Amino acid sequence: MDILGSLRELVLASGEHGEHAAPLAVQAVKSAGYLWLIPFFPLLGSAINAALGLRIQRRYGRKWCSHLAIGAMVASFLVAVVALVDMLGQPAERRYLVDHLWNMLTAGDVQVNLSFALDPLSMVMTLIITFVGALIHVYSQGYMADDPSYWRFFCYLNLFVFSMLLLVMGDNFVLMFFGWEGVGLCSYLLIGFWYTDLEKAKAGVKAFVTNRFGDFGFVLGLFLLFWALGGGWVTKQGVTPEHESRWALADPGYQPKAKDGTFYEADRALTPASPPATYDEVAKLGTPSGWSQGPAVAVRGGVRVGPTLSFRELRDQIAVESTGVRQRLTSMTVLGVPVLALIAILLFVGATAKSAQLPLHVWLPDAMAGPTPVSALIHAATMVTAGVYLVARLNFIYALSPAAMTVVAVTGAVTAAFAATIGFVQNDIKKVLAYSTVSQLGFMFIGVGVGAYWAGIYHLLTHAFFKACLFLGSGSVILGCHHEQDMRKMGGLKKYMPLTAKTYWYACVAIAGFPIANGFFSKDEILWKAFTAGDNLLDPAIGKAIWLLGWLTALGTSFYMWRSYYMTFTGEYRGAGHGHGTFEAPAPGHAPPAAAAAHKLLPRLATHSLGAAHAGTFDQDVAMASVQVAGAGGGHAAAHGHSDAHGHPGGPPQESPRSMTWVLITLAVGCGATVLLGLFAPLGIVPPLEHWLSPSLLPAEALVHSRLSPDAGNHGLEWLLIGASVGVAFGGWLLARAFYKDAKSAVPVRLAASYPRLHRTVFNKYYVDELYQRTVLAASMVFARACSAFDRVVVDGVVNGAAAVGRFLCNIDGAIDKHLVDGAVNLFADATLRAGKQLRRVQSGRIQHYLYAALAGALVVVGINLLLR
Amino acid sequence: MLPTLDNAASLKFFAPEMLLTAGAIAVFLLDLVVPRHARRVGILAGVSLAFLAAATMATWFSVRASYEVDGQLFTAAQQPVALFHGLIVHDPWAVLFKYFSFGVTALAILIAAPSLEVAKERMGEYCALLLAIAVGMSLMASSTDMLMMVIGVELVSMVSYALAGFRKAHRQSAEAALKYVVYGGVASGMMLFGMSYLYGLLGTTNVVGAASAMDAYGERVFKHLLQTGTPGAGQLAMVVAIVLILAGIGYKIASVPWHMWCPDVYEGAPTPFTAFLSVGPKAAGFALAVRILYGALSESGGQDLAVVVKDVPWPQVIGVIAAITMTVGNFAALNQTNLKRMLAYSSIAHAGYLLMGVAAASATGSQSVAIYLIVYLFMNLGAFLVVGTVARLSGSESIFEYRGLSARAPFVAVAFAIFLFSLTGLPPLAGFVGKFHLFKALIDRGEAWHVVLAIIGLLNSAVSLYYYARIVKAMFLDKPVSEDPLPVPPSYGFLLGFFVLAVVVFGVYFDGLRQIAETHMRIFGHS
Repeated sequence: MDILGSLRELVLASGEHGEHAAPLAVQAVKSAGYLWLIPFFPLLGSAINAALGLRIQRRYGRKWCSHLAIGAMVASFLVAVVALVDMLGQPAERRYLVDHLWNMLTAGDVQVNLSFALDPLSMVMTLIITFVGALIHVYSQGYMADDPSYWRFFCYLNLFVFSMLLLVMGDNFVLMFFGWEGVGLCSYLLIGFWYTDLEKAKAGVKAFVTNRFGDFGFVLGLFLLFWALGGGWVTKQGVTPEHESRWALADPGYQPKAKDGTFYEADRALTPASPPATYDEVAKLGTPSGWSQGPAVAVRGGVRVGPTLSFRELRDQIAVESTGVRQRLTSMTVLGVPVLALIAILLFVGATAKSAQLPLHVWLPDAMAGPTPVSALIHAATMVTAGVYLVARLNFIYALSPAAMTVVAVTGAVTAAFAATIGFVQNDIKKVLAYSTVSQLGFMFIGVGVGAYWAGIYHLLTHAFFKACLFLGSGSVILGCHHEQDMRKMGGLKKYMPLTAKTYWYACVAIAGFPIANGFFSKDEILWKAFTAGDNLLDPAIGKAIWLLGWLTALGTSFYMWRSYYMTFTGEYRGAGHGHGTFEAPAPGHAPPAAAAAHKLLPRLATHSLGAAHAGTFDQDVAMASVQVAGAGGGHAAAHGHSDAHGHPGGPPQESPRSMTWVLITLAVGCGATVLLGLFAPLGIVPPLEHWLSPSLLPAEALVHSRLSPDAGNHGLEWLLIGASVGVAFGGWLLARAFYKDAKSAVPVRLAASYPRLHRTVFNKYYVDELYQRTVLAASMVFARACSAFDRVVVDGVVNGAAAVGRFLCNIDGAIDKHLVDGAVNLFADATLRAGKQLRRVQSGRIQHYLYAALAGALVVVGINLLLR
Repeated sequence: MLPTLDNAASLKFFAPEMLLTAGAIAVFLLDLVVPRHARRVGILAGVSLAFLAAATMATWFSVRASYEVDGQLFTAAQQPVALFHGLIVHDPWAVLFKYFSFGVTALAILIAAPSLEVAKERMGEYCALLLAIAVGMSLMASSTDMLMMVIGVELVSMVSYALAGFRKAHRQSAEAALKYVVYGGVASGMMLFGMSYLYGLLGTTNVVGAASAMDAYGERVFKHLLQTGTPGAGQLAMVVAIVLILAGIGYKIASVPWHMWCPDVYEGAPTPFTAFLSVGPKAAGFALAVRILYGALSESGGQDLAVVVKDVPWPQVIGVIAAITMTVGNFAALNQTNLKRMLAYSSIAHAGYLLMGVAAASATGSQSVAIYLIVYLFMNLGAFLVVGTVARLSGSESIFEYRGLSARAPFVAVAFAIFLFSLTGLPPLAGFVGKFHLFKALIDRGEAWHVVLAIIGLLNSAVSLYYYARIVKAMFLDKPVSEDPLPVPPSYGFLLGFFVLAVVVFGVYFDGLRQIAETHMRIFGHS
């Protein structure tokens, strides 16, 4: 009954914006000892496949490898559902499930627990990951059916899901970082899954390296946050084995709690509220005499104050005003920069890399080299949203810094527009989707950046469905067209693959923003919140500008998505191995050489020159409508060495197996069903998802007393903007339909030909890769060469000089020890080994020497004793 | 002051040692009776293991057994108690090392059973001698009287001499035993000499409360200095006494400059016994070292810090010895091609790491020693077990035998790689956890020399990676020395799996180790 009641409450939630004004309290928690099972099942599946996968595949057949992995996913999802039910049974303010396993590390102020936590926000993420993840596992069965390393694929997929769950369920920064790095590793492994293909391996490396830049920012931000809270690595004075004793010193009323679960059960709000103390007073309290200026940990207002890595403790410290932490953080500066803005922006740098935002977006399009299910799972639905999740998780930090919010929102808006324009001219179906993903992630960052965290998360959720559906649809198309990814060689597939076409169509409806699918509701809520951002940003006008940019991007989104749909599914089939090609032979001179075709299909690192290769691909693009079919076949086969091994017969495209279409249909249904979660937004009623997430998201008004724009309550204006959004959705659709339907129109080719320079720039993605090639890579190469030269000239010089001196000394010493003279002492390693050899000579094997050494050694130790006294 | 029991009342706390003594005798007798058939080794090993299990149980009960002082009942878990009029003590620290000793002895018997280096017909002898060593190690860990300490050390040493020369027909084995006897004799002599000095200076052989007696002695020396203007020989005598006792302990744990017997003996002794030697007596030596240094030669300074007695700056001295020991051990290991010799130097280096924990002179430092020893037990026994497995077929311990091992025995190769990386101290393996606690204990003290010592330790870890990784490289990257798969006895496979599991599990779940060490950190009422 309880659960039904909460469900009703969830659905019928009405406008209660006023309730947020109440003072914020500590987060009440509930212990749930089964949470560890959620990440454990995928880990187990991965471990079994890693250890025994090859054997299982050989002895019992490959299906058992995937059944194992899928079973793990289903089990994990079911436990997540149990957790959801558990959570629904709690009152809203108590929806925080904690599973504390054990303390992993205690050093100085660093205390890391292996504990999992689920609050409404991470619950949503966990459900997305396990549900969409399970679907994609099922889909992969069909997609990877012919791959010899079947077991390895499922091992990685399960490992990825484990890492992702660690990322969202970890209750502290360290676990999140483990997951953060884990998903990066799995992404690398899966992009380079077909590692024998050098280009794919390079794409994996590129993704990995780009993410290291972001991680650097993330870690710096984390350190800065820890420092700002008063943390240090070690306590200098004496050994302090227990934090407990220090808290007890700081607050006589503090009762050390038992270890393990009971600690969380205790309702610390019951601790009598101490009179408000400034942070500095607390710091003094926590520093008993005789201690050097160590960091302070105390209890104020029922909250432990001091350095922490736990999200919940951090939230409590900031949420409860009487702790003084909020005041301290907002007034603190480092080198004249507000420390909070710096922390938030550094953490956001980590988010930009993981979520492929400008300027660290370059790896995501290249990541399409991985198998398509990977693109759907990792590079669309889950991993790339980790950055959005990070910002939403730390909403209480971002809310305190309008500057950081502005950076996030503007980065998101610019990325969204930037990536959308590139999407206009791409011909590789997965590239289109890749840039679309970058663009949609930009929308999510607009959402979390303007303080509409729930809208950002809602878009994350809707995107997970429609983008997974699009990617898996494209995978189905690619498989049906025998590993062809170039849309110019598709066309007319509606006839051959009706189910794929229908689901792709509906997903296009969703992403383009027609009000009959989920994408419209989330995107529109984001744009409306941007328009009314008010004081959440540095200047309300920025919000208006972001809205305009987002609105134009929505037009572009509709256009390029429908372009991809019409190019792929309408007209006549233009692919290889099909009897009746309806197209003319290409204009002379445009016959694409096989190499250029291969070049086009594959992701590239920015390692090639800008000259001939680009001109070639560009010309080929202009001649889009008249592509040479036969010539490309060879290049394609050469490029996709693996595809022949798959054993797909040539011939007309076919619909994909049941396991794949079934997943597509489920996802398409999801695109429709998730409308419900945000349905009431334009009607001025609190949408269920917003209501659900509200315990996780501290309202900015309560934290910084900011005001929304006066337009916030203006429903007339809201309907007007909604109308504008629907208008651009239709506009983009009509434009794409006119240009690309049935490949009849010649306008696109003409347009491209009349603005060659512009087209070439956009087609080559604004040369960002080349820019990196010329700047970052070149600079690092110069640095490397400089280091090498330094090593050659200076270090070797020093070493050689030392060697010369050493040789000289050795010559003198030669009579005593001829061994030193023999070798040339020109490297440190050599010297080390030499020292080892010398020591070996000491070990003569003669017992009398040993005894002399023992007695002499004792004498020396007596000497040391006297010296040190 | 410790409650002290008389001989009769002490016996129930002494049951483990008595059981093992009975066991040693029983196995000797059984050796004569059991006929030479296939299950002979199994029977003898099984009986020995049964006695060890019984001793472990007895230890478990002895912690919970109660005793009466002045009409009040205590258990040893509540309050440590001195036995036999103060000859040995029954405290958590001793109990931890009793468990440890019995465990390592059991493992040594399990390793020896399928080994070809311990002849089948002499298995009874081997097991009985090991049981005797277990008694010795248990005495080393629990004695509070210097005479008792000498008896413990001698018991372990004497039996070790016999076991080192166990392969009678083997020239190297005989040489090893002889060197060990001579060296051990001299080292024991030094220790006894130091103890006799200390007895002369303090007037007692009991080390409980030695710190205050030494402080009083220091006062007298100081007065003498004031009166006469010269310090006299009193001060020097004290230092010499302590250093000579340290020499005895240093010989047991194989630290520089008393390490030289170690490579020769390790190389010559049968591999199962080398494995035992590298862990068991070393651990007992550390138990003794912590008991004497942290327990007796210092007083509690609050916050579990030791305040060192006057005139004997032992933490600094141990720090210097630690730095030299690990450096010498690691550098000498670099060029070794014989794996047993390399592991001997590696074990010297590890003694150096462990001494860092002693040098911290704090409760956490001593805990970190215990943690590291437990971790070291698994990874080092595992490494020697692999050496034994490979040498079983080829009879050689040369690194060349390990080329391409991954193709011949993949599980063994992977397990060995895990042990070696754990010995280096790479996360997420147990070796990392052990080192982490050692470094943390040291850094927590926070003086400059602590930090310097920690840095030396870190650099040494880096150096050690060279020779450990060399083996890994040989196993995984070099061409196999032969194509035939390497036969692995099932019990070895099982043991290897167990060690790997322990190394990985403790690498991830390290709170358990810390708790074990923390609960056993009580040294005869000190702190």
